[in-house]
Amino acid sequence: MKFAAIGKRSAIVAAAALCCAASVTRADTASVQPEESDVNSLTMPKPSWVYISRGFVMGGTSIYDTATGKLLGQVETPVLADMAIDPAGKFYYVSETYWTKGWRGTRQDMVTFYDTTGLKVQSEVAMPGRILIGGRKNNFILSDDGKTAYIYNLNPASSVNVVDLAKRKFVKNIELPGCASLVPNPGVGFSALCSDGSMATVSTGGSKPDITRSAPFFSATDDPIFDNFAYDKAKKQAVMMTYTGLVYIATMGPKPTISAPFSIQEAAGMRKGDPKPLEISWFPGGGQPLALHRATGHLYVLMHMGEYWTHKAGGSEIWELDLAAKKVVKRVQVEDEPNAIEVTQEAAPKLIVGGTEEVVRILDAKTWEEKFKIEKAGSSPFAVVEAP
Amino acid sequence: MRKFDPDSMGEKMLRRFAGGTSRRGILARLGVALVAAPVFPLLPVSRAEAAKPDRSPEAKTLFARTAQTTDDTKCNYWRYCAIDGSLCTCCGGGVHTCPPGAEPSPVSWVGTCMNPEDGKAYLIAYRDCCGKAYCAKCDCNNTDRETQLYVPQLNNDVIWCFGTSSMEYHCSTAVLVGAA
Repeated sequence: MKFAAIGKRSAIVAAAALCCAASVTRADTASVQPEESDVNSLTMPKPSWVYISRGFVMGGTSIYDTATGKLLGQVETPVLADMAIDPAGKFYYVSETYWTKGWRGTRQDMVTFYDTTGLKVQSEVAMPGRILIGGRKNNFILSDDGKTAYIYNLNPASSVNVVDLAKRKFVKNIELPGCASLVPNPGVGFSALCSDGSMATVSTGGSKPDITRSAPFFSATDDPIFDNFAYDKAKKQAVMMTYTGLVYIATMGPKPTISAPFSIQEAAGMRKGDPKPLEISWFPGGGQPLALHRATGHLYVLMHMGEYWTHKAGGSEIWELDLAAKKVVKRVQVEDEPNAIEVTQEAAPKLIVGGTEEVVRILDAKTWEEKFKIEKAGSSPFAVVEAP
Repeated sequence: MRKFDPDSMGEKMLRRFAGGTSRRGILARLGVALVAAPVFPLLPVSRAEAAKPDRSPEAKTLFARTAQTTDDTKCNYWRYCAIDGSLCTCCGGGVHTCPPGAEPSPVSWVGTCMNPEDGKAYLIAYRDCCGKAYCAKCDCNNTDRETQLYVPQLNNDVIWCFGTSSMEYHCSTAVLVGAA
């Protein structure tokens, strides 16, 4: 420690000498103005921005502008935190957990409010627990009007915390056995996927939550739906995909309707994904395997070739699926087997892919040209601003 | 005088049986039995036999076909078919042993893995060792029958340090629970 301190001081002295020498030589060409430290600020979130969690080991969520590839700032999200963006653009909300002595002592769970321009803590709301997992987009969701937050908790009983963001108040904890992976349900509350293959819908308006369940429509153990599905606020739809490649679209409401599934492989003119051992198929995979461009209804999916139960494998191709036409309109090879994908909601969207080796690439979703390659960018999940 | 003549008794029984039956009759009855068999419940032993999962190579996952039983510090060790995280065997612990100072979680996620030596499937409890910083050695991420959060006991991304004094994740063990 001592030697290090001496070394550091010597370095400062040397740097000061160099600095003064440089000033002396340039004194006749530029006036010397003493500087003061200041702090940058940001604008409100823009549709070209992407938010990248730095992963399991390092905290922080980096904000990049996909128009320039530049790092703009960082939201303070500890490891295993989840972040949500206020649809009005005023706040970043962080659902996070601390202990009074680092990782031991008294546990504290909260939703912390950061203003989007200064990235300073504005408020925090304590709540009774939350799941510790990281890498999931649907454990911390907001109602479409941005007034309510729903936070999934597993302790290991399953429940959901409701936080009033407008009043900055914890409202209640709702027990929800056997269900997780939350979807906003406008005017109702929220919905969730369940282990019996159904969708539960929780009406939060009354004095007691009213929980109803759809008929089972998928197999939660043989062909599960990926947790990181996409939600389209304008259409009030969740776009979901299973391990074998079936696409389900749930339209939210008091009784959500779930479309008949179709196979992404059949939409590409090949046979369905075959789960039998020794059968090689194209399968969706990764931690965040799909991204939805809401305005066009195009779904971008990370696909890889292999046997079944390879659902965490990164993609060797991105498939662009036109949901309305049920057609894969483009297949493009990608490098580094990314396991996370997101797409900006701009009229000329950009794809963000990455996850392995912390390399993130920004691609033009029309020309598929690589615009930027960002090293040490973090892993996942990625979030983008959805047009209000 | 012989009191007991099994040969003669056997012959009489067979002759009586032969006299009362015909080959065609036996075939006809056998045919009826064969056709009717699926209608009736089979004996418990037969049902247990029928319920046995298929262990042929055609029924094994890629992991099960390539797993080994000798080195528990490698990701392809047979018990690790659904493990995710650092192997405690590389962190100062063992396959069912936490490293010094760490605390095993009383609850866990589970996997069903096939032992290539005896061809049998076993239930494995993946218990996290908790209370120390992430070991980050021998990271594995195997996914046989691994599912999503709404079936949490089969999900290997959850931090399974419940009921421990600290929820900090250190490494994962693979405890053999029994035959699956």
